[in-house]
Amino acid sequence: MKSISLYEDKNSVINMLAPMTKVIYIIAALIVPFLLGSNTISVVFIGISILVLIIGKVLKRVVPIIGFSSIIVLSVIIIQGLFRAGNVTPLFSIGPAVFYKEGLLFALDIGINILNILLSFSVLVLTTKPSDLIEGFVRIGLSPRLGYVLISVFQIIPQMTETMVTITDAQRSRGMETEGNLITRIKAFFPLISPVVMSSLVNTKERAIALEVRGFNSKQKKTFLNEEHKTMADIVIKIILVFAIVASIVGRVIIWLK
Amino acid sequence: MKKNSMWSLKLNTAALVLIPAAVGINYLGKLFAGLLKLPLWLDSIGTCLAAVLGGPIVGAICGAVNNIIYGLTMDPISTVYALTSAFIGIAVGVCAYKGAMKNVKGAILTGIIAGLVAVVISTPLNMRFWGGTTGNVWGDAAYAWAIANNIPAFLASALDEVIVDAPDKIVTLLIVFGIYKGLPKTLTGLYKNDQEIESLD
Repeated sequence: MKSISLYEDKNSVINMLAPMTKVIYIIAALIVPFLLGSNTISVVFIGISILVLIIGKVLKRVVPIIGFSSIIVLSVIIIQGLFRAGNVTPLFSIGPAVFYKEGLLFALDIGINILNILLSFSVLVLTTKPSDLIEGFVRIGLSPRLGYVLISVFQIIPQMTETMVTITDAQRSRGMETEGNLITRIKAFFPLISPVVMSSLVNTKERAIALEVRGFNSKQKKTFLNEEHKTMADIVIKIILVFAIVASIVGRVIIWLK
Repeated sequence: MKKNSMWSLKLNTAALVLIPAAVGINYLGKLFAGLLKLPLWLDSIGTCLAAVLGGPIVGAICGAVNNIIYGLTMDPISTVYALTSAFIGIAVGVCAYKGAMKNVKGAILTGIIAGLVAVVISTPLNMRFWGGTTGNVWGDAAYAWAIANNIPAFLASALDEVIVDAPDKIVTLLIVFGIYKGLPKTLTGLYKNDQEIESLD
């Protein structure tokens, strides 16, 4: 069954790190530049993320993620470069459209911000198995019931996608048109979505019973199947990151007091 | 028979398993809309359905989980809008609890309310993170037109959001209404919280 997660086990050093370490990295990568208000720090974090991705041998997998969001970045560049209030210094022009320096600098800021978010998330997503990530959260106190909810989404979506293919084929073989003008396509939507929705909702009733029978709601403390792997590297990295976050909070307060 | 308040945080197992199903429905809605090349997102059908069935809290959790999972698997940008999804779930849940989803007119009204909630929450997020645009062609064209006519960026961004989200939410709620009417009572009965549960231990 195809997974919806982008994770692939590359047996690298980064794969060995605990998931919580990478979550703290994301928090650091987003909060530190925000608190200190500096683009240079964002670029530093972008550099660190790229380095980590190279060590994790997953740099190439970042490309689809970035591509997905490139439309937003492109639209921001075009719109802010052309139309932002306060554009006074023209930088270059393509035909009748004039791109201004202020707008483009603003767009550059946004672009760096977006790239930072994407790359730091990628460090987590491309190197961590989803079940390990959720297990990490449950260990530090997330309710196991909510942990189940999150994990089951990862399993349900591939199942539903396969069902969708079956249902689309079945309906088409009964004469439903899926190509054509807008009205035809709108009419095709209901016969496609209803069977899927109905069957998945009816399944929830069975799933609820199955969970209850297995002690889902029991108030006893639950034990873990896997052993927790904590390495020296984890502890060192966590200390460095937490130190960075605290330092940036202190830095922010100092800037306020000036 | 005592009726639980709609804000009760006691989620029974039926409500919890509804959440992954709702996220799956959201995902498929988005997939079908893309497959059929419809000019709408249709990615909150599941959240709204869960809100109608299970109330505002379930709807909110569905919305938040939906965006967090999308963010962790496909598109980190979606994580930002988890707040919007959660509030849409709350809004639809409250409307459904007050009986708005009993007829088509009520469904359209709920859709309008959901659309407004989406605009109110998403516009500040859009402004903070990427200066007001949404990544949708029509919406951003409207934003560009508004900025070029010296309308303040905040209003331009709100206009962008309205164009992108209001029609989508109205259609979504109509679809949810259609689906809800067709659900068997055995299913809808699972979520009615006006029953007392007797436990054996």
